[in-house]
Amino acid sequence: MATDSKQFDFGFRNGRLRVAWYALLAVLLLVGGYAMWLRLQGGMRSTNLTSITPWGAWVAFYIYFVGLSAGAFLVSTLANVFGIERLHRVDRDALFAAIVSMVVALLFVWTDLGRMDRMWHPFAWRQVTSALSWEVHAYVAYIFVLMTELYFSMRYDLARVAERGTGLRARLAGLLTLGRRQLTDESREADRTWLKRAGIVGIPLAIFMVHGGTGVLFAVSKARPYWNSGLFPVIFIISAVLSGTALVMLLYVLRTRLFDGERVDRDILDRLATLLAAFVVVDVALTAIEALIAIVSLHPHEVETWRLILFGEMSWSFWWFMVGMGWVFPLVLVSKREWRRTPWLMAVAGLSVVIGIIAVRFNIVVPPQIRPVMEGLPHGSYFPSAVEWATSVGMMAVGLLLYTIGAELLPLTPLDGGDH
Amino acid sequence: MSSNDAMPGVPDTPDRAQLDAMVDAEQADPRAELEDVDFSTELGVAMAEDAKAVSRGEITSEEYWQRYDDLAAEEFGEVYHETPNPAVDHDTAQTIEDDVAESLSCTVGSMASIAESLEEPAGDSEGASEDGEDDDHRWGMVIDLQKCVGCDSCSVACKAENRTPPGVSYNVVMEEEHGEFPNVQRTNVPRPCMQCENPPCVQVCPVSATYKMDNGVVNVDYDRCIGCRYCMIACPYGARYFDFGENYDDEVEGAGEITSPEYGVDRGEREPKKSPVGNVRKCHFCHHRLNRGEEPACVETCVGDARNMGDLDDPDSEVAEMAASTRAMQLKEGEGTDPNVYYLE
Ligand code: SF4
Repeated sequence: MATDSKQFDFGFRNGRLRVAWYALLAVLLLVGGYAMWLRLQGGMRSTNLTSITPWGAWVAFYIYFVGLSAGAFLVSTLANVFGIERLHRVDRDALFAAIVSMVVALLFVWTDLGRMDRMWHPFAWRQVTSALSWEVHAYVAYIFVLMTELYFSMRYDLARVAERGTGLRARLAGLLTLGRRQLTDESREADRTWLKRAGIVGIPLAIFMVHGGTGVLFAVSKARPYWNSGLFPVIFIISAVLSGTALVMLLYVLRTRLFDGERVDRDILDRLATLLAAFVVVDVALTAIEALIAIVSLHPHEVETWRLILFGEMSWSFWWFMVGMGWVFPLVLVSKREWRRTPWLMAVAGLSVVIGIIAVRFNIVVPPQIRPVMEGLPHGSYFPSAVEWATSVGMMAVGLLLYTIGAELLPLTPLDGGDH
Repeated sequence: MSSNDAMPGVPDTPDRAQLDAMVDAEQADPRAELEDVDFSTELGVAMAEDAKAVSRGEITSEEYWQRYDDLAAEEFGEVYHETPNPAVDHDTAQTIEDDVAESLSCTVGSMASIAESLEEPAGDSEGASEDGEDDDHRWGMVIDLQKCVGCDSCSVACKAENRTPPGVSYNVVMEEEHGEFPNVQRTNVPRPCMQCENPPCVQVCPVSATYKMDNGVVNVDYDRCIGCRYCMIACPYGARYFDFGENYDDEVEGAGEITSPEYGVDRGEREPKKSPVGNVRKCHFCHHRLNRGEEPACVETCVGDARNMGDLDDPDSEVAEMAASTRAMQLKEGEGTDPNVYYLE
């Protein structure tokens, strides 16, 4: 085949762009690394957290990445389990992004521990009534399912790369096939069956345990009425799916353009954009219901927390980021069929949501920890410290680096154009 | 053994020579003292010197009395014979007459035997409540809000006793003013850890580092806690504090040298990356003091006697009676936590 050599050489099309990208990542990693050193040396004093506001940026980013992961995974199941053929092209990308997001999420939880050296304790001691105890185990199981899925989704192409490709890529691909190198149709069928099975295990795991569970982790704290609602975990899941869809859309456009050098499939884009619009609407509706119930309850803690979100010191994060970038702006962008089929516009819409949801996560974590749990205790006030920001950037750079390396070395785009 | 091993909370002692010098300075001149009385100064001084020799073991008690019994009888006359002399009249097992002991209601016997009998029950209770097992108490506190004047002594005593770092305050007094001048009312509500019967913090801890002991106190195992702070999120009373590793070094010299043996574990000097730094901390009813048979520091110090400590499971105890009174209430009863700290309105 004439296209072979090109097909097996995925990665950046443009050498200069590659250098620039890695240089940028290197800078971010250096900054993050230095901040991490400060955090390790200074302990939790390097944060702006207090005993009134014990959870901050790291926790917000942690649930953000868990959500991103769960969302991206659910998009991948649209292709793998529900057989939406068009989306096959993006399913590996979605899976891989889901794995990387999860790794980043765990990096954030780890950094957030007062005793980072005791990260293994949750596996040695447990507590059945603790949502967090369950979550830790669910995350591990989830990562395992994701890897299994990616393996079955990619094995056939890995075997092909191992056979026909060259250099590092071929060797890595050979290793990753785990010895199953057949290129027969039966082996391909077996892969598909197992992919579907893993997906079926993965869906409840991702929805109920991983992301629903993370929502439950907050919702069970009766001491914070703002979180203590049955709708809360549902909103968690919806906003997760929303951010996941946006991420997949963004990655799809960028990778097709920058790595594969192909034309973006307008139909896929249209489909993803429509999904995105639907999720935005559901997210807005549920959030509005939640806010309404809270405010009408006249519970002082709830009312005060919503007042803080809407009009408080940090209300810009709600209006500009959450409402503006997360909801309104992307909705406008996907409102026209023509725009939905314009790759760069959709990349912008995706990016906008991905950033906007960060504000959603911050507005979940921080506001209920500002008003003290008891009248007469001091009020909190929180804005992340420089170390918190810089370590966060560093950990995200780790994720970007992992993703980029994966995208350069692994056949994340199906080698025969997605119609397997 | 260094002093902070044996007794946390006790400051360092100066060296011996210095101490002896301090005693000497305080000591009265024996000759001058004895000259003030009618009896022989020489005899007094000689007896005192030889008494010291006895205690140094240079001469025996018998030799001493052989030497002085007659001389003393001669000098003091009748009075000498009427005063019981324990060393002469009794063996070492008993130092005073039975009827004298009776009238003073004190224990009869040698120092050693009395000390032994005292040690036993104390030693017992310590062994038993170390881990809260086979301790059939349920410790509870009752705070009379009408007696609380909002002086914050309890918070200060708590800080001194538990040596909590900046930002960690096991006890606070929540003070609120209601109404408008001149009709102003003030409520002071001291807030220790409630040691809930159904503690939300215990429920959420992913590693079971915080748990309820049989004596009702909620424990934090500083060696297991990973510092995730989920328990702080869950506590409806804001009673938990994260130890960020800050110190009072600028305010107090050697602030971290001594720590309180919380939950019966002496962790020695406070160091940057050593637990409880990076852990969550809270009031533990001065568990180490309870084990010694003492009341928590805040209870002991309260100027208005507003705080009471005792066994809620013992229906005859003062706290159980107060907790059952119509004035009694708990904070945030709707949370279902069932605190073991009661307030009298
Ligand atoms: S901070 Fe420590 S005690 Fe509190 S929930 Fe986490 S591990 Fe348990």
